[in-house]
Amino acid sequence: MTRYAKESVPKRQPPLRAACLSLVLLLLGAAGAGAGAVAAPQMQAGSALAGPNLERSVKAAYLFKFLGYVEFSGDPGAALNVGVMAADDVAAEVTRLTAGRTVNGRPVTVRTLRDGDPTTGLQMLFVGAGAERPVQTLRNAAQNGVLTVTDDENGLQQGAIINFRLVEDRIRFEVSLPAAERSNLKLSSRLLSVAYHVQKGN
Amino acid sequence: MAPAFCSEPAQPALQADGQSYDIADLSLEQLNNVVITSVSRQEERLANAAASIFIIGAADIRRSGARSLPEALRLAPNLQVARQNARDYSVTSRGFNGQFANKLLVLIDGRSIYSPLFSGVLWDAQDVVMDDIDRIEVISGPGATIWGANAVNGVINIITRSAKDTQGGLATFSAGNRDRDATVRYGGTLQSGGHYRVYGRVVDVDDAERAGGMADGTGLRRRQAGFRADWDRPLGGLTVSGDIYGVDLAQPGRPDAALSGANLIARVTRKLTDDSDLRVQLVLDHVERNQPLAFIERLDVVDLDAQHSLRVGGRHNITWGGGYRYAQDRLTPSLVYGFIPADRSLHWGSLFAQDEWSLRDDLRLTVGAKVEHNNYTGAEYLPNVRLAWQPEPTQLLWTSLSRTVRAPSRYDRDYRSPATPVIVGNVPRYGIGGGPDFQSETARVAELGYRMQPAPAWSYSATLFYADYDRLRTQEPNVNGPAYSGLRQVANGAAGTNRGIEMWARWQAMPSWRLNGGLTLQRVRTHLKEGSGDSGGVLGVATSDPNHQWQLRSSHDLPRDMQLDWTLRYTGALVRPAVPSYYELDAQWLWKARRNIDVALIGQNLLHPYHAEFGAAPGRSVVQRSVVLKLTVRF
Repeated sequence: MTRYAKESVPKRQPPLRAACLSLVLLLLGAAGAGAGAVAAPQMQAGSALAGPNLERSVKAAYLFKFLGYVEFSGDPGAALNVGVMAADDVAAEVTRLTAGRTVNGRPVTVRTLRDGDPTTGLQMLFVGAGAERPVQTLRNAAQNGVLTVTDDENGLQQGAIINFRLVEDRIRFEVSLPAAERSNLKLSSRLLSVAYHVQKGN
Repeated sequence: MAPAFCSEPAQPALQADGQSYDIADLSLEQLNNVVITSVSRQEERLANAAASIFIIGAADIRRSGARSLPEALRLAPNLQVARQNARDYSVTSRGFNGQFANKLLVLIDGRSIYSPLFSGVLWDAQDVVMDDIDRIEVISGPGATIWGANAVNGVINIITRSAKDTQGGLATFSAGNRDRDATVRYGGTLQSGGHYRVYGRVVDVDDAERAGGMADGTGLRRRQAGFRADWDRPLGGLTVSGDIYGVDLAQPGRPDAALSGANLIARVTRKLTDDSDLRVQLVLDHVERNQPLAFIERLDVVDLDAQHSLRVGGRHNITWGGGYRYAQDRLTPSLVYGFIPADRSLHWGSLFAQDEWSLRDDLRLTVGAKVEHNNYTGAEYLPNVRLAWQPEPTQLLWTSLSRTVRAPSRYDRDYRSPATPVIVGNVPRYGIGGGPDFQSETARVAELGYRMQPAPAWSYSATLFYADYDRLRTQEPNVNGPAYSGLRQVANGAAGTNRGIEMWARWQAMPSWRLNGGLTLQRVRTHLKEGSGDSGGVLGVATSDPNHQWQLRSSHDLPRDMQLDWTLRYTGALVRPAVPSYYELDAQWLWKARRNIDVALIGQNLLHPYHAEFGAAPGRSVVQRSVVLKLTVRF
């Protein structure tokens, strides 16, 4: 296990913060002025970035980013298939974000899943907090080598590889290396270095 | 730190597609730093709860400037909080507030903090690191089927964050004209893979003043330390936490009184299968209070609780469990009153089961009951039935019927005043004594609630309630003659009703501006039952409840990493002791000066130099305007 990054402590990036916050403030300001639409150049996302929707936008952006930091096997030109369960709003946002974008040259497709739907053919599966049988879904996905992401306080305990946490009003994510191993997925060290926690094997 | 890969994968190739700024263009580090102001998580959590639940989130507490639990509870529109003096509060929901309010159950991380002396909470003994609170769930209305007797009018669940989410160091210093406090907390990882945090905290609260300007001798000095450790296990977890504290309670014209205590909680959760969860919890609690003008008490509590939830056939969510609580106290008569017997072992055993049955996809019926056994009245039955209709995820209509009781406390049965009675013919003649026949107070409650989120930017909730109380506590003249030695004794001589409505709404007026409003209207009516000779209804008959209260809270994110929050609140007049209605304003201006440093200027009760919230004039204490400077450093 030592080849992985050490257990992380909360990462703080002071120099980045100012830049990032000013960017976000700019975005939020643009969203606020959305009706005027003058100060927001081609800001289709304007309304989506308003307060109550920011959380799902951030999660959707993370999901899109995660795809770039995992080595997926299979045809390097084929589409990356993302499944979303019990989070229709996140599914819509991921669909919007990934439209016209590629990850390492691969296009992204998004589809919503219902409880019991097969997870074969997926590269990534996001299971929302309201999923009915998360453990069974995640176990099934692990057998198919799917990168699983949850949004539940006990997401990693239930078997997910990545789980969102709300820390100091920010969406952070934690990673389980044993779960990634079970799915035969390699996560980049950069992903691990940004993670809020990295759970190692026992 | 050895990288897992020899070469980093390339940055995801982005085709900007003409959108110059989009959230998908932010890096992982930048996403890590986007501040989420939404409350959707909290709202999801309560979206389908068929009860009147208000959640005070961590951000709400931080932005309010509240530095103690009772002050934070003011944020819940469905609670009535009245500050008696510098350290004592009366907190209730749905009426029946009093100096020793006794119809509300309060838990800190699953540890019940009610006192078996009077089935209420002594707030001067309770403190937590405010920054470590994840949320406070406030349920108004009966919660007895799950939480047991004493959850008559409501339940407050104070939930602290997992040690996993409080890593690193935190130091806060507050200094104001009425109180000062300092807290240091540090969180790290354990060899075994778990996480821990430890903290130390000191609080210094000045005496309040009486209306005439004289100090009332109700300040306190607290020293408290504690820890929490969490271990994630496959399909479960283990949590162990504990606190130890010592408090010097100022006394009018006397040396400080001493209060100290310690507690320990161990909790195991385990997901047995997808459809089955188990939780087992053990709580140990020790309190010593040597307050010669009130209680002189040593109390030890052991509380074991287990709960199993399982899903059957996709349509039934069954929760069942049991608990055993044992309390042993040793009481010494204070200068004012005593208890007979002075030492007593109390025990409560309970079993409950509840089924949440999906009749249709949009219709849920919940039926449950608890049987709880106590020393004084034996078995009590606490049933409830709830029906929830959720035509769409953003809309919920629910109704409930419950029966609940407040089981007798030590006060109700064993109280004696004065502590040193007149002896007549070898028989002590007390002025007031607990009632040997005092039975549980009962309440039957009907509720109708509606929650709606018409648009992402706003949501509201309204709950109508009607509660019918019987066997409420009174003081009756002793009719048993010499067989009983108190001139007056505690009895169940009153009955009453409370009807009203609780409403609150949230509106995200702009991305950087949120408004919260809350309103409670109620009519508490109590009457003495036939044959009652209660002398003035000073005990169980409710006379300290406002007919209405409301609050408006504004949260504004300002440029340059500043936040401005204010709360305007109104509380209606109390009848006896008479307290006039009042408006007050609390405000906080916060500047995130650095990534790891916050500076806050907090003003509380800004509209008046002082106002009264509770107690009889002219001797009562008043709440004064206060200004506090607070510094928070994360390291």
